[in-house]
Amino acid sequence: MKLLRLGLWLLRRERASGEWRVLLLALVIGVGSVSTTGFLGDRFKRAMRDEGARFLGADLLVTSPRPVDSWPAHRLTHSAALEFASMVSHGDAFQLATVRAVDAAYPVAGTVKIAAQPFAPGIPGRALPPPGAIYADQELLPLLGAQVGDRVQLGATTFRIAGVVTQEPGQPGAMFGLAPRVFLRADAVAATQVLQPGSRVTYLYQFGGAPDALAAFSEAMKPRLDRTQRLIGAHEGVETLRGAFADTDRYIQLAALVSLLLAVVAIAITAHHYALRHYDQAALLRCMGATRRDLRTLYLIQFGSIGLAGSLAGIALGALLQTALAHLLLPTAVARLPALGPAPVVAGVASGFVALAGASMPALLRLLHVPPLRVLRRDLPPLSGSAWVSAGGSLVLLLGLTAWYAGELKLVGIFVGALAGLALLLALLAQLALGLGRVVQRMSYGPLRFGLAQLLRHRFDSTLQLAAFTLALFLVALLALVRSDLVDGWRQQVPADAPNHFLINIAPHQEQDVAAFLARHHLATSELYPMVRGRLTTKNGQPIEATLPPGQADASTLRRELNLSHTVTLPANNRIISGRWFGNRHGAEISVEAGMAERLGLALDDELGFAIGDQTISATITSLRSVRWDSMQPNFFVIFAAGPLDALPASYLAGVRIPDDAGSVLPEFVRSFPGVTVLALDKLITQITGIFNQIIAAVQLLLGFLLAAGMAVVVATLLAGLDARRQEAVLLRTLGAQRAYLARALLSEFVTLGLLAGLLACVSAEVAMALIAARLFDLPMTLHPWLWFALPAAGAALVGASGWLTTRHIVRVPPMQSIRALG
Amino acid sequence: MTPPDSRRFPDGAVVSARGLAQRVTTADGELTILADIDLTVAPGETLAITGASGSGKSTLLGLLAGLDRPSAGEVMLLGAALSELDEDARARLRAGRVGFVFQSFQLLPALSALENILLPLELAGHRDARARAADWLARVGLAERASHTPRQLSGGEQQRVALARAFATDPQIVFADEPTGNLDADTGARIIDLLFELNARAGTTLVLVTHDAALATRCARRMHLVAGRVAARAPA
Repeated sequence: MKLLRLGLWLLRRERASGEWRVLLLALVIGVGSVSTTGFLGDRFKRAMRDEGARFLGADLLVTSPRPVDSWPAHRLTHSAALEFASMVSHGDAFQLATVRAVDAAYPVAGTVKIAAQPFAPGIPGRALPPPGAIYADQELLPLLGAQVGDRVQLGATTFRIAGVVTQEPGQPGAMFGLAPRVFLRADAVAATQVLQPGSRVTYLYQFGGAPDALAAFSEAMKPRLDRTQRLIGAHEGVETLRGAFADTDRYIQLAALVSLLLAVVAIAITAHHYALRHYDQAALLRCMGATRRDLRTLYLIQFGSIGLAGSLAGIALGALLQTALAHLLLPTAVARLPALGPAPVVAGVASGFVALAGASMPALLRLLHVPPLRVLRRDLPPLSGSAWVSAGGSLVLLLGLTAWYAGELKLVGIFVGALAGLALLLALLAQLALGLGRVVQRMSYGPLRFGLAQLLRHRFDSTLQLAAFTLALFLVALLALVRSDLVDGWRQQVPADAPNHFLINIAPHQEQDVAAFLARHHLATSELYPMVRGRLTTKNGQPIEATLPPGQADASTLRRELNLSHTVTLPANNRIISGRWFGNRHGAEISVEAGMAERLGLALDDELGFAIGDQTISATITSLRSVRWDSMQPNFFVIFAAGPLDALPASYLAGVRIPDDAGSVLPEFVRSFPGVTVLALDKLITQITGIFNQIIAAVQLLLGFLLAAGMAVVVATLLAGLDARRQEAVLLRTLGAQRAYLARALLSEFVTLGLLAGLLACVSAEVAMALIAARLFDLPMTLHPWLWFALPAAGAALVGASGWLTTRHIVRVPPMQSIRALG
Repeated sequence: MTPPDSRRFPDGAVVSARGLAQRVTTADGELTILADIDLTVAPGETLAITGASGSGKSTLLGLLAGLDRPSAGEVMLLGAALSELDEDARARLRAGRVGFVFQSFQLLPALSALENILLPLELAGHRDARARAADWLARVGLAERASHTPRQLSGGEQQRVALARAFATDPQIVFADEPTGNLDADTGARIIDLLFELNARAGTTLVLVTHDAALATRCARRMHLVAGRVAARAPA
């Protein structure tokens, strides 16, 4: 009790000291950063799931060729729809359409937009048409020569076209080969008499609700499904977004981790300085009868109080900022997100304490080992018996913390390894840079010469400061680069001339005419790919189901028909990662997408059998490809070499960019090629770029944390050297140096330090970025010329300003006052 | 607490030493700092340890106060054989019972004058610590400077605060290491007057280390060290 009172009292008396402030600041930044991402992590996943749901039209979708009559008990919102193909006619014109008969609850998630005219912006509404009416895809109207308001025949009934569908949730992958959409009321299906026994119908059951309820429902539902039925979660709703989700998640982990590590650096420097300044206090307390245990309790109380205050403030900051981030990321979903739970608060306090303990343990242990004799002989250092133990303990704590947050060992390994290597490298580089500084110093004069001399005189301190500044700048620069390269990477993957329409079901005899039409209108287009639908059935002569790796027994790839193609040119956005591209070779060879190969346990030289119509085709895997699914280009899981598919009936597929101002092209195309289905990707692209923009905004906010953490390191390093600087300044003032001279000398010292740190950080960031781009994000390597100007300038400004702000008072205080202050 | 060893040490001594020696190993071999020191200090006695710089007097003070371990010999402090105590036990022995005055004052810069005196009282768990500290601050004539931090006090004032801190816990013995070493002659003299006045009033045992022969004469007994050995004692 007495020690608690004494500890808090000592803390209160020293609350104005720079160390406590920096410790508190570093903790607030570190914990704030991880809390923001911690709070957000859960909400972010919800947000992403929600986006998936908007694509899928539901949080969960069950498809079945038969009606499903019994469901596990649930409290989810749900809708039941059915889909079938049917001819629609208007006068003499006929067109095959995909009819989706919906109830009032459809869609459970996402938006349907209905417009009064084709190619006009739609108004959000329900997909359920008024009685006696249908909604139709805008592509359908020119095919039928019909207009909104006209009546069309569907089976035995006529319906009025009440509007056109300009946006609907849906799975783009599932839409290949589908005819234009018609929305019909479910209660009007019977009257059409289209559905007869044996008709092909897909029943679509959508569900939406809280994650727990969805998970429980999903678990209960899985055992009830047969091979013809599928259960699709929102997260697997869209292949297109999968890459972006993974990158974003990893990026956010990285940002939080780096902020935390920077905070740890600031805490370690400050705690070390605190310990140095308190050796005398510790010796005095021991003299007065305090045992080592008393000292440990006293310092634990003080550091613990700071830890608690800093962590709680950090958590409060995190809670505030995550709300801002949640609004940025998904404004529409904020109201539905769960309230902040106690778990991130506990995690925040725990990480604050672990970071503080890990970073300050060596310094604190040294304090406990100060010999009491130091009161008589001030040169006595603390006993160093436990240095290795304490350093080891710190390392274990900090590695544990890093691993906990990164969650991915590969990431921790790369980062910790890189940082350790970097620390060594930076120390070496700093020594070299200071050597260069000596040359500059010899050529300079006045305060600059003196400032540089100061840098060089305290070579060890300067190396440490330079390495610390460089580390802070490097990490911020690296994150900025990763961010900018990621964004560029995404933008490249969705370039301005990315196809915004897919032309599908192009008959072989139309191939030349379609190509000519596209060329005549100067439309950017992909290659025209032949497309054959087939099901994967065997591997090396065995049924494929028998060869699957554990846990893949219900692989969705096996249930649906695959779009198979053949081409001699490796499509753009595809990369061969093993084996060789067959090119012009004819024969039974295939190239398989690497992800699919991994899921299904396929390897080079495996022979796969495909059921295509009533035929079976076998081919050997001679290459594996990585595919950028988010490229918006036609992509295929399986590509055949020339030969095996040539004789099979195929339709062709192409991606084409139709500019926004080319309004008449699309209707003309549809009129010219009535059998070809035009699939609009514009909406998909808009949705994806929208998500990317939200992610970018969130990431920029996280960079703010990094910069603050970098500044904390800068201030901590400066504060650690403040006493020595004050002493020198006093001496110089006493010897006749004017304030302005000292001020300029200090400024030149810091600006030089900042410039050097900027340059070193620049080199390091470029090298690291090249490695990260290649290894982690699968992006091409690029140099960043702007960095070579921006980073040294930023370093000079940052270190110059913070150095000046931290030390300016030592040139202003009268020498006598400073001498007293130094005791 | 370890009982006094009456076979080797005279009964009732506050501090005593037998065959005390301190040697350190340097690059040039073993260096003897102290050798063959025997002494006994009775309750209420004042002892001055004098000698030139490097004669080993501060080392002796450190050994007598249990701040360091000797290479050889034995120290009894307040009835306990220091060699039988580990460092924490020696610290517990000092708590509230041993006072110190240092050449460099050793005040904590973040604490006010009053709080510096409060520190050992709080550590020893005194109930009326604050009132007691204020009383001692008044006794050294600095009542009006209670809230001033060390950097706002002159050297003499700082040493007065240090004196108050040393006596505040009613210690049985005070060790003073060159208490005037950082002060001018006038201020030093006033500090010494105050030290002896406080000591006389409290009846405390005082062990004073100084190189100043005149100051040493104010102590009842003196011991002169030359090169780590006792060269003279007065009275003999």
